[in-house]
Amino acid sequence: MKAEDPEAAAQPQANSVPKPMLIAAGIQKAFDRTRALAGADLDIYPGEVLGLLGANGAGKSTLSKVISGHLTRDDGSITLQERPLNLRSAREAIGFGITMVMQETSLAPDLSVLENVFLAELGRPGLLSYRRLKRRAEEILDRLGQKETLPLDREVRLLSAAQRQLVEIAKALALNSTLIIFDEPTASLSPPEVERLFQVMTNLKRSGHTLVFVSHRLEEVFAITDRVTVMREGRTVAKSLDTASLRQAELIRLMVGQEIRSVPANSPTKAAKSPRTRVFEVKRLSSAPAVRDVSFTVHKGEIVGLGGLVGAGRSETVETIFGLRPRQNGELFIDGKKYAPRRAADAIRAGIGFVAEDRRIQGIVPDFSVRENLLLGHLAASRKFGLGYSQRKVKLNELIEKLGLPAERLDTNMLNFSGGMQQKIIIARWLLLEPSLLILDEPTKGVDIGTRTSIYSMLRHVAEAGVGVVVVSSDFEELLSLCERIVVISDGVSIADVPSAMLNEEKLTLFAAPRTSMEQNSAVLRDIAHDLNGAAFWTLVDQDRLFCLYAAVTNDQADPGFRAGDTPMISDTRIPAALSRRSDALVLEAENQLGTLLLSVLSDRGHDMGWIGVTLDGRSPLPSAEQLRGRIEGFLGRIVKPQ
Amino acid sequence: MKTERINPINAERSLVSDLVGRLEIRMLALALALGAALSILSPHFLTSNNLLNVLDQSVVVGIVAIGMTFVILIGGIDLSVGSVAGLTGVLLGRGLEHSVIPVAIVLAVLAGMTIGLFSGFLVARFGLPAFVVTLGVMAIGRSLAYIFSGATAIADLPENFGNIVYTSIFGVPAHVLTLLVLYALAWAYLNFTKGGRTVYAIGSNREAARTAGLNVLTFSILPYVISGGLSAVAITFASAQVMSIDPLAGTGLELDAIAAVVIGGASLYGGRGSIVGTLIGVLIMVMIRNGLNLLNVSPFWQGSAIGAVIITAVLIERLLSSRAFSR
Repeated sequence: MKAEDPEAAAQPQANSVPKPMLIAAGIQKAFDRTRALAGADLDIYPGEVLGLLGANGAGKSTLSKVISGHLTRDDGSITLQERPLNLRSAREAIGFGITMVMQETSLAPDLSVLENVFLAELGRPGLLSYRRLKRRAEEILDRLGQKETLPLDREVRLLSAAQRQLVEIAKALALNSTLIIFDEPTASLSPPEVERLFQVMTNLKRSGHTLVFVSHRLEEVFAITDRVTVMREGRTVAKSLDTASLRQAELIRLMVGQEIRSVPANSPTKAAKSPRTRVFEVKRLSSAPAVRDVSFTVHKGEIVGLGGLVGAGRSETVETIFGLRPRQNGELFIDGKKYAPRRAADAIRAGIGFVAEDRRIQGIVPDFSVRENLLLGHLAASRKFGLGYSQRKVKLNELIEKLGLPAERLDTNMLNFSGGMQQKIIIARWLLLEPSLLILDEPTKGVDIGTRTSIYSMLRHVAEAGVGVVVVSSDFEELLSLCERIVVISDGVSIADVPSAMLNEEKLTLFAAPRTSMEQNSAVLRDIAHDLNGAAFWTLVDQDRLFCLYAAVTNDQADPGFRAGDTPMISDTRIPAALSRRSDALVLEAENQLGTLLLSVLSDRGHDMGWIGVTLDGRSPLPSAEQLRGRIEGFLGRIVKPQ
Repeated sequence: MKTERINPINAERSLVSDLVGRLEIRMLALALALGAALSILSPHFLTSNNLLNVLDQSVVVGIVAIGMTFVILIGGIDLSVGSVAGLTGVLLGRGLEHSVIPVAIVLAVLAGMTIGLFSGFLVARFGLPAFVVTLGVMAIGRSLAYIFSGATAIADLPENFGNIVYTSIFGVPAHVLTLLVLYALAWAYLNFTKGGRTVYAIGSNREAARTAGLNVLTFSILPYVISGGLSAVAITFASAQVMSIDPLAGTGLELDAIAAVVIGGASLYGGRGSIVGTLIGVLIMVMIRNGLNLLNVSPFWQGSAIGAVIITAVLIERLLSSRAFSR
């Protein structure tokens, strides 16, 4: 471990006069074989929203649990209001006004919202006055500004994830908590729900609560927090930095350190440089309700990423390709041959391997040895009555040598290995079958950063050997550094297929914006195009390249030369002059008489959201730029801006 | 990355020695200790006659316990084995009135397998709880057994029907030999075939088995089919032993079979257990019964003794396994 970055560990700005309400220093915590916290520090100032930022496995959740009494620390100290705090249980923490809203909610599913909010009261002796509880609950929801969203007599199991979270928050308020820790609260929320949560958090802050917001999503940290503390590998690498003074790149560097750079970023593998053979192709795949229209191809030796938001249908897409879900429509080709999997075994025999998202639930057979776990894919592919393990013996020995797995541990229990090694064993399960295509769903989920790097290089070696690799990941940073090309899926539709060298996190986020908001914006653009009898589009521009999010063309004469998902060079479009100039004026192309007006779009927080453009056929008389802008701006009020 | 991973040496024990060392060997030791104790307590225990007697009494529950092992290995349970035995017994009796012995037996076994297919399909295809489905089949089976038998025992069986029990091959009665052959087949199947390992994988982690491409549906149904078929085989021998078929036959058999499997070290959550363990479990149960008879203990005490053994076996297993597998 390197020494702490002096600049990063700098103290909060001098203007923060108030003393921290809670100070955690040098916290250590080990689980069994893993050191989760190795000297974590945290200061929480009264009335602030503190962002606790870090990659997966950095120790954010563990530290939060230590502070909220869910875990006891091994070493280190915590002081609350200048008095030492030694919590033995979460119940005790509640007594001090500290509550944690967990990733997986701890609600009683068969009880009503009201009963859950006052669960602690149910344990008290004596009679309950439901009427009084109800009044108090309404008061709390009112304070959150969420009176309408949460019916008090509804059973909790009928609620959405976002509503359950609200119940948890209400529960914390019912206990008079002053410090509320939110552990990755946005993980399973849709963008509008995130917005609502942020509203709730703002209300809480306004009413004097202190909040800790645990996350690995930078945009959210920028949106909601006052200060940020960054963790990496169980340590605090930056404490209480002023959010306003931070830059995204700086935070990323703090979060991941230098390690991520050891993966050569998205350079084509050797196998990919040779003439490209198509190893896999999917055309217009659908599997209701999550997958609606997905097409993409994978070449030999190529790592293709499937990007998008949680719930966009990426996992469902790969599960359908692998035969785990029924396929309604679409065609699948592997090695040039069509295949129609009715079961996973069909896909395996066709030459596909699939590493599922949840290793514990979908990967490991816990009662099997490492050897039998490795041979599970073989067992599925085999048509024999017997085991036929011996036919894989040579390849198996070769593989475990590459994994650095001692042969004598082959017959031990799988659960004795680290998460990273377990994941590598599951990947090796498919490599054993020498597949043409290897699909991995969130391959580094729950894997620490060090092992992550070694999984990346393993995947690159696999691709080097000529296998087509598909990686599903919600981590845009990971997709951008690992994959050569990214297929963006939004609301079950593949909407873009872009070389990752052309992308960055912002562009990917805009592409991945859910269709619901995209759909409305598309409708606005269609209305504009229709109204003006031309073309209307929304695009990002980066140097001399264009990223078209949507294009509506009503008049073929006014076609700007690109469509949704296209990423052409500006010079290859039909309106290069307008796109390269990007002025306030209506620009007329010399070559084809197309007149284009571009309007810049900024999000509510001032982020650059690209350009809305209108192209008209200049051979008929054009309106003036002012007239045109006036007509368009009426429509633009309806534009939904992704966060 | 400096997070330390400590792998204690004792975690390196191989899984094979784990299973054998922990499970069957321990149970075998218990069986031998029990045998030794009984032979000291009673001079009649360690006679070849009595040992054959123990095996003779093991046949019915032993055969049913094979099917029960398969079902429990996939994490299921089959409460219907006793009444399926009763029903297929009655069908066997009716069959013997109309056709030759081998045909009647084959038909009875097919009937048992069909009932198993029914239960297994409901459980595996629709995800119904095995406990509830087989409880329902248990009630239906017994009811049909009464209806088809007219609620009376069928006693006029063909004379040579008894030969399936009383024929000896190399001095071993045919039914005991059948028991051992069935155990050998089940052992080979579970350990050395794709289907057998699939059964274990399903019991250990159904979702992982499905995701890895194993045929989960087929091999979730198969155990119930085996269980139903073996119930019919068991009642065939039981009927030949007493040369009579009673619609009540097999009552409580499911509990003995489950007990044998559990004493043999299988986990009711599935994925863990072995056919050798089950055989030892059967022998332990039968030896306790036999020993208590020899010692002239009231038969009313037998239930208490067996119940105590079951609870002790499971308790020991839990205490040991919570140390070995901290998960």
